Amino acid sequence: MALRIDPEKNEVHALKDMTEWRNKRVIEIGCGNGRLTQRLAHLGAQVVAIDPDRKLIATAKQDLPARLSEQVRFKVGSALDLKYPKQTFDIAVFSWVL
Amino acid sequence: MVHALHEAQRVLQPNGILFDLRPAPVHRRVGIQSDAGIQEIGAMREDLTDDYVANQAVKQVVREGLFKSEKFTQFNCNRVMDGLKEFQDWLLDFTTVGREHSATHDWLSERVERAYHAIPGKKKIIVHSPLMLRRLRNLVE
Repeated sequence: MALRIDPEKNEVHALKDMTEWRNKRVIEIGCGNGRLTQRLAHLGAQVVAIDPDRKLIATAKQDLPARLSEQVRFKVGSALDLKYPKQTFDIAVFSWVL
Repeated sequence: MVHALHEAQRVLQPNGILFDLRPAPVHRRVGIQSDAGIQEIGAMREDLTDDYVANQAVKQVVREGLFKSEKFTQFNCNRVMDGLKEFQDWLLDFTTVGREHSATHDWLSERVERAYHAIPGKKKIIVHSPLMLRRLRNLVE
């Protein structure tokens, strides 16, 4: 028994069609449990993923495969106060935040 | 929401890209897939006010000249569940944590349960969940 999200992988296809992700510096805002974060890392992005919920960040860290650990950093944080200097990222992703 | 868009723009490189990924402002449809095909059970009744507010926020930053809207797509990001328990857990989570202002969906849960027991053989419950993805270009140097 299981719940599968997007078994057709439509989401990742849509993201791939939109831009080139390889080696891009990406901030994902509202990463939740890191489901999309992993997909972005699989596309080759270097991802900083933030969410205000500490429990979800802990889950996201726990679920991150070791092979993606060099590409992904999870942080607790708010969309309203990003703790990064101006012009740090190539791509920002609002993940179900707006 | 506009504040969050301004903050994202601040940390983006000139000419960088902002993606807005979220559920499309449409009601999700629930069906049961079996060897006989998909039987539609019902559509959820969701409060879509937040979606319209978000669209207005995006329009505002485009009007302000911070971003240019370049590309838009909508696609299905379905939830596929093997049994009733998964569906009921998902529905409870959705109405209490997700779109929390949405109406209760006990009627839908009951309707899915009846149909699930009535359909013979192997089956799955599918929630058709359209997502939208918009690409915005940072115009600020």
